[in-house]
Amino acid sequence: MNGFRQSWLVAKRELRERSRSRAFMASVVIMIVAVVIAVALPTLIDTTGGTKDIGLTGSTPATLPAAIAAQAQAVGTKTRIHDYTDLAEAEQAVRDGKIDVLVIDVNQLEWQGRADEQLKAVVTAAIQISALQQRANTTGISDTQLAELLAPVNVISVEIGQVAGRSPDDETAAFIITLLLFMTVTTYGAMVLSGVVEEKSSRVVEVLLARIPARNLLAGKIAGIGLLGLAQVTVTALAALIAATTISDVDLPAVRGGVLAWAVLFFVLGYALYATVFGALGSLASRPEDAQSAAGPVSVLLVLVYFVSFAAIGSPDTNWARAVSWVPITAPIAMPTRMAMGAAAWWEPIVAAGLTTAAIGALVVVGGRVYASAVLHNGPTLKLRDAWHLRATAAATTPERRTVDRSIAHHNKTAVIALAAALAVAGFVGVVTGDVIIGVAVGAALFALVDRASKGWGVTPSREADRASRSSRINEPHETRRRR
Amino acid sequence: MSGAALEFAGATKRYGSVAALDTCTFTARPGRLTGFLGPNGAGKTTAMRAVFGLVELDAGTVAWQGRPITPAVRTRFGYMPEERGLYPRMRVREQLLYLGELANRSRSAVAASVDTWLERLGLTTRATDRLDALSHGNQQRVQLIAALVNDPELLVLDEPFSGLDPIAIANMSELLVEVAAAGTTVLFSSHQLDLVEDLCEDVVIIDHGHVVLAGDLEGLRAAVPHRFVDVDYHGAPPDWTSIVGAELVEADNGHARLQVAHTVDLADLTTAIERTATVEAFSYQPPTLSELFRHAVAA
Repeated sequence: MNGFRQSWLVAKRELRERSRSRAFMASVVIMIVAVVIAVALPTLIDTTGGTKDIGLTGSTPATLPAAIAAQAQAVGTKTRIHDYTDLAEAEQAVRDGKIDVLVIDVNQLEWQGRADEQLKAVVTAAIQISALQQRANTTGISDTQLAELLAPVNVISVEIGQVAGRSPDDETAAFIITLLLFMTVTTYGAMVLSGVVEEKSSRVVEVLLARIPARNLLAGKIAGIGLLGLAQVTVTALAALIAATTISDVDLPAVRGGVLAWAVLFFVLGYALYATVFGALGSLASRPEDAQSAAGPVSVLLVLVYFVSFAAIGSPDTNWARAVSWVPITAPIAMPTRMAMGAAAWWEPIVAAGLTTAAIGALVVVGGRVYASAVLHNGPTLKLRDAWHLRATAAATTPERRTVDRSIAHHNKTAVIALAAALAVAGFVGVVTGDVIIGVAVGAALFALVDRASKGWGVTPSREADRASRSSRINEPHETRRRR
Repeated sequence: MSGAALEFAGATKRYGSVAALDTCTFTARPGRLTGFLGPNGAGKTTAMRAVFGLVELDAGTVAWQGRPITPAVRTRFGYMPEERGLYPRMRVREQLLYLGELANRSRSAVAASVDTWLERLGLTTRATDRLDALSHGNQQRVQLIAALVNDPELLVLDEPFSGLDPIAIANMSELLVEVAAAGTTVLFSSHQLDLVEDLCEDVVIIDHGHVVLAGDLEGLRAAVPHRFVDVDYHGAPPDWTSIVGAELVEADNGHARLQVAHTVDLADLTTAIERTATVEAFSYQPPTLSELFRHAVAA
C-alpha cells in the first residue's frame, strides 16, 4: 500500500519534471506539427483535387468547352475555361501557373512542367469528341444523335492493394500503426534508460533507495514515463484527427475503432516490456555515455521487431506472421499490424496480450533483480551476468578484467554459428517476404544483435584466446575506455 | 525496548574473499551521538548501507527497537550517504518535498519541516532555485535537509564533516547535538577524531569489518589500565628510565609525556621528578580517543 503510494510519487515526479523540460515540450510540438503537415501536405501540394484551369487559344471549336466540362465531370474533376487571343500572353499564364494547361489550335497542349496525366486524358478526349462532332455535323448526323453516341461512360477505378480482400487504406493504417508503435516504444524506452542512468550517475539513487525499495522506484519511473508517452501519443493523434477533419479532402485510413483501442493497449504492453529491459540495462552503466552501449542489444532487437512487423503487412495470413504476432517480443507491434490488416481472429489479440503480460511479469522479476543489484554499483559498466550474481558474490572486485573490447569476431566458433544463422534467417525471410532487402536487413540486424548480446553478457574466451586476440589487434584502433 | 535503538548483531557481509563486515555487533542508543570510526575500508559504509537494506547481509541482523528493519520502518530513518547526490536540475524545495513524501509523510507535514529547515540553514531565498545553481556548501546543506525532512527517529550520516570549512563544521556539530538532544538516535562516521571526542557520548571502532571497541566514550577511556602524565618543568630533566612504572612517550625541552599504570602513586611520581627539576604544570589523563583508536586498530 505504501509501496504503491511511493511508486505513484515517483511517477508524478517523472511527469512533472519531464513535462517541464523545454526539450520535451519542443519534441511534443515538433511531433504535432510534423503529423499535421503529414496529414495536410497531400492536400496542399495536390492542386489537382481542386478546379482545373484550362486555357484555349488559336482556332477553337465552339463545342470544346462543353466537351471538356463533360469529360471532366466523368472523372470527378471541375474545370474552368480561359480564352486567350494572344499566344504569348497565354503561354505566360502557363508559366505563371495561372492555368494548368494551354490548348493551342486544338492540336497542341502546353504544360508548365510535367503533364498532369489525368487532365491530359480529359482534354485529349474532349478534343477528339469535339472533332468528331464537327465531322458528324458535316456528314449530317444530328446533334442529339451524336450526343447519344458519344455520352461518356462512367468508369470507376478500384485500388485492390497487394493482398486479396484488403484495401490499400488497410495497408496505410497498418503501416502507420506499426511505425508509430515502433517510434513511441523506442523513444519512451530510451527515456527510461537515460532516466535510470541519470539517477545513478548523480548518485541520488542511494538517497532514494534508503526510502523506497528498488522495485517500487523502477515501477514508478516506468509508469510515469509511460503515462507521459500515452499523453503525447493521444495529443498527437488528436491533432492528426483535427487536421484531417478540418482539411476536408483527406481520406482517413480505414482504421476501425477496435483496432485503435487494441493498438493503444499493445503500446502499453510493448512499452512496459521494453522499458523494464531498458531500465535494467540502464542500471548497468555508471555514466550516460555508457548507457547506449549497455542498451545496444535491445535497441537492435526493436529495429528487428519493426522489420518483421513491417514484413507482416505484406503477408498477414501466413503462419510466420501469425507466429510473430503471438511471441511476446514481437507481438506488441506485429499483432496490431495484423489486426489493422484484418488478418487476426477475435481471440488472437487476447492470447497475444496474455502471453505478453506473462512475459512482462517474468521480466519485472529478472529486471528488478538486475536493477536492484546493479544500481548502487559504481565503476565500469557491469555485465548482465555480473549484475545477476552480484548479490551472491563480489561487487567491487568483478568488473576490472573486462575492459578489452570483445566483439564476436574474437570467438571464431560463435561468429561462424551466428553468421550462418543470420544468413539462414536472411534467406528465409527474403524468400517468405519476396523482398531481398528485408531479408538482408533482418539478417544483418540478427547478426548485430547476437554480437551485441554476447558482448553485453560478457562471454569470456579462454585466456589464451583473449591474449591472442589482443596481440593480433595490436595495430588496430580499438575501443578505449576511460577508467575511473 | 528501551536502551538500544539500533542493534547490529553478528552482521556479516562478504565480497568474494574480502569480508566487509565480519560478525559486526554494536548498538546505538536514542538521544545520543554515536561516532562510528575505523580506518578506510573498515566496513563503515557497508554497515550503514545495511541499515537501509542497500546491502544484503550474508549473516547476522540489524534491528531497530528489537524488530527487523522493514521498508516501512526505514521511512522513519534519515540517511546521508557518503556519495552525496540529489537531482541536479530539480528545484531545491520541490526536491526536498519529494524526498519527504517518499518517506510516507503527508505533504503538509513535509512542507512545514522543509520550510523550517530551509529557514534554519539560511536557504529560504534559494528555495526555488535549481540545485545545480547552488554553491557546493549550500548543496551540502540541502543534502543534510534531505536526511532530516521526515523528522527521523534514526539519523545515519556517512562522513558528514568531510569537505566542510571550519564554520560549517561548527554549525553541523551544533545541529547534530541539537537533533540528538531531541531524542533522535544519531550514528555518524568520521575520521576527525578530535571532533568526535568533543561531540560524541558513544563511539564504535571497527576494523576489517569487526568491532574492536564500542561503548560510552568516558567509560572506555576510564577502563584503559594506563594513564598519561604531562609534565612541564624547568631544571635538569630527571633520568626518566629510573622512574618505576612510567614509560616515556615523548620528551622535549621542558616538557615530557609519560605513560603510567592507572594504579601509579602520583605523589611518588612527582617526588621522583622533583629530585632534579621543578614541576610547573602536571596533568594526569586517561588516553585520548586518538590514542584509543590507534591502540584498538593496531591490535
